[in-house]
Amino acid sequence: MTAGSYADAAGLVERSAAAYASAVPRTPEDDGFFGPASVTWRVSADLSAPVAGLRSLLVQALHPLAMAGVDQHSDWRTDPVGRLAATSAYEVMVTFGDRASATRAAQRVRAIHEHVRGVDTVTGQPYAAGDPALLLWVHAAFVDSALAASALFGTPLADAEADAYVAEMTVAAELLGVPHEMVPASTAALERYLAGVRPALRRTPAAAESMGYLLDPPGLDEDIAELWQDIKQAAVIALPGWAREMYGYPDPPALTAGRRTEIRQALGVLDAVFLGEPGVLEARQRLAVRMRSAGKK
Amino acid sequence: MAAGIGAAAAGGVSIAALTLLRGKRGAGERADRLGAGRRAGGIRAGSLRVLRAERGLTALRLVARGGARYASNAPRLFASAGEHREALRNDLALQTAEDVAATLGTMKGVLMKLGQMASYVDDGLSPAARRTLSRLQDSVPPMSPELAAQVVAEELGQPPERAFATWDPEPIAVASIGQVHRAITHDGRAVAVKVQYPGIAETIEADLGNVALLRRMLKITAPMQDVDALLAELRERVTEELDYRTEARNQQMFADYYAGHPYIHVPGIVPELSTRRVVTSELADGARFGELAGWSQAERDLAAETIYRFVFRSLYEAHAFNGDPHPGNYLFHGGGRVTFLDFGLVKHFTAEELRPLVAMVKHLCVDNDPEGFRRAMEDAGFLAPDAPLPTDMIVEHMAVFYDTVRERGPRTMTGAYASAVIRRFFDFRSPLAAYVQIPRSYVILQRINLGLFALLGELSATADWRCVAEEIWPFVQGPPCTPIGAAEAGWRATRTGAGNGVRSVR
Repeated sequence: MTAGSYADAAGLVERSAAAYASAVPRTPEDDGFFGPASVTWRVSADLSAPVAGLRSLLVQALHPLAMAGVDQHSDWRTDPVGRLAATSAYEVMVTFGDRASATRAAQRVRAIHEHVRGVDTVTGQPYAAGDPALLLWVHAAFVDSALAASALFGTPLADAEADAYVAEMTVAAELLGVPHEMVPASTAALERYLAGVRPALRRTPAAAESMGYLLDPPGLDEDIAELWQDIKQAAVIALPGWAREMYGYPDPPALTAGRRTEIRQALGVLDAVFLGEPGVLEARQRLAVRMRSAGKK
Repeated sequence: MAAGIGAAAAGGVSIAALTLLRGKRGAGERADRLGAGRRAGGIRAGSLRVLRAERGLTALRLVARGGARYASNAPRLFASAGEHREALRNDLALQTAEDVAATLGTMKGVLMKLGQMASYVDDGLSPAARRTLSRLQDSVPPMSPELAAQVVAEELGQPPERAFATWDPEPIAVASIGQVHRAITHDGRAVAVKVQYPGIAETIEADLGNVALLRRMLKITAPMQDVDALLAELRERVTEELDYRTEARNQQMFADYYAGHPYIHVPGIVPELSTRRVVTSELADGARFGELAGWSQAERDLAAETIYRFVFRSLYEAHAFNGDPHPGNYLFHGGGRVTFLDFGLVKHFTAEELRPLVAMVKHLCVDNDPEGFRRAMEDAGFLAPDAPLPTDMIVEHMAVFYDTVRERGPRTMTGAYASAVIRRFFDFRSPLAAYVQIPRSYVILQRINLGLFALLGELSATADWRCVAEEIWPFVQGPPCTPIGAAEAGWRATRTGAGNGVRSVR
C-alpha cells in the first residue's frame, strides 16, 4: 500500500469510450436480461451516469474487504484507467448485451474472482471476491448510486420506476453468483440492506488513497480535469451523509437549482467529448433505435 | 482588398482565434513568446489586452476541430452532409421539446454554435480532433413531422397544412437548430420553410449564461474584459441567429440589394409567413457545392468569381458580411450564376469600422506605403501602437493575406495557398503575435476570410483577382475586367439613383 504508486489517468475518456462503443451490441440475439423498454436501459443512458459511477466507487470502497480485494489483487494501481474501462465495459455488456453475451461476461468475471482471496490487513479478516455478501455490497452500492445521481442531476425516476429499477437489477447480482433471495428487490429493501451493512463499513487507508486518486486523477487532459471537478463535487453531494462523514469530506452547501444546472452543463460538455470518440454515436444510435421501437409497442 | 481587406482583418483576428484553437504544445510556446515579447518590448503587461489561453479545453478544441472540416474538406463534407440528410435518422426523430432539450441542452447546442463561429481553421489538427464537433452535429436528429408542425402552428397561428397550400412533412435539410421543409403558398409560390427546434433558443440562451464554464473552457488568463468582450460577441451573434426575424431582415436586405443582378441571386423572404422561429423564403434549386467537382474548371472559376464579388461587394457597399461561408450555403446554376442561402450570421459594419480596413489594403496594394499600412493597422486596433517591430517585418508577415491582390494577372487559389494563409493566420510563434489583438467588432471577420480562401482553394479557382478587386475597391472603382464584371456594371448602372442602397435599409 505504497502511496503514490498509481499510474496516471491519461486516456480515461478515450478508453472508456472505446470500451463503451465495443460493448454495445451490434447484432444481439435477444434483448438481454433487461431490454429496451426497461428502466435499467434509461438509467444507464442518463446524463448523470458519470456521477453515478464515481459515487458508486466511493461507496463501494468503504467496505474494507471489498476494498482489500481490489487493492491487493487487481491491476488497479498499475492501470487504473484500464480497470475502470473494463468495469464500465462489463456493466454495458450486462445491461445491453444479449443473454448469452451477458452470461459469458459474468462467467469471465466469476472466474477471475476465484483467484481473488486473501486477508485484509486492516480488519484481519479473510475475504474472497466470490463471497456473495461482498458481491451484493458492490451491487447495492451501484444501484443506490444510480438512483441518487439520477435523482439529483439526471432525469429523476418516479417512485414506481425506482422500485422497478431495483427489481430489474437483481439479475445483475445473480449473474455474478448472489442467490436470488439475498438481493433487495425494492428501494425499501435496498435501504434496509444498506443500513444493515453500515456497521461493517470504514474508511481504510487503501480506500482513502484510492478515492483520493479518483477524485483528482493525475494526468487527465487539463480540460477534462476541469470538468472532473464538477463531476467530483456532484458525486460527493450525492453521497449519503454517513459516507461523507467517514471520508471526512465537509458537508457541501445545499444544492441550488443554479448549481444543479451548472453541474448538468459540465456533464453535457463531458458527454459531448465522449460522443466525439470513435463509435460512441453509432453505439448510442443502436440503442436509441431499439428503445424507440420498444416504446411504440 | 478582397483577399486583402478581409485578410488584413484576418491577421488582426488571429489572437482571438488562437485562444479558441490553440493546442497544448502551442500554448506553451505562445506563453513563452508573450513573455519574451513583453520583456523585449518593455510593454506593460495588460496594456496589450491580448487574449491568452494556456490550454484549449477539449470542448473548445473540439469546436475548432469541427470547424476545420469545413475549411479543408468542404466538398467532401458537403457531400457527406447531403448523404447524411438523405439518411436522416427519421427513426430517431425528436418528438417533443423535451427530446430537443435532451439532445441539444446542457451545452451541446452552445458547443455546436460556438464551434461554427470559432471555425475555419488550420490543418494542423489531428483527425481525431476534427471528428468531435462533426459528431456532435451528426448526433442531432430531425424533428418528427408532428413536432415541426406543432412549431409552425404555434408561430403562424394555424397548422402548416392550412398556413400553406401544400406542405411537405418530411424535411429536406437540417440546420443545427432547425430544419427546412418545402411548401407551396396559397398564392402558388414554392418556398423553403425553416423551422426552429422548440425550446432551443431558451436552452442555448440559458447555457450561454454559464459564463463561468465558458470562461473555464476558454481557459482565459487575460484581463476579464477581454474574455467578456469575446464572449459577448459570440453571445450576441448566437442570440441573433436564434431569432429568425433577424435572419429574415438580413436576407431581405441582401435580396433587395442584389435584385436584378445577373449572376447573384438571393431568395426573397415571405414576411407574412416568417416569425421568430419560422422563416419562409422563395425556394431555390441548383447544384450543390459537392457537385461542382464534376464541373469543368472554367465553370468552377466563374462560380468562384461570383462568390468573390458577392463577398466584397457586400462588404464595401452594403457594409455587411455574411459570416457563414459554409459550402452548403450556395446553389450553383452554371455560367457563374450563384444563389446565396442562409443569412443567419450577418455582421454589419459602420463606415468607421470599415475605414481602417480599406486604408490597409489601399496603402499596401495601391499606394505601396508600408508606414501607412502600419498606421492603418494601429488605427483599427489590430496592432499595438508601440510594437517594437520594424515595419518591413510587419508587412512581410501580413503580405501573404494580400498575395492574390498585390499584383495584376491570373492567380490560382489552391488548397495549399488556403492552408498557407490559415497557417500564417494562426502562427502564434510569429514575432507579431504578442502585439496583435482583435477589437470585438472584427471578431467575426475571420470566418469569411478563412472560409472564403478555403472555398476558393477547393475550387482551384483561377482569376485575375486583383483586377476584380479593383472593380470593387471604392478607392479605385476600376472598369470591368471580366464578362461577369461587365454584366455587373450594367446592373449597377440601372440601380444608380434607385435609392435602394443597402445602407438606407438598415
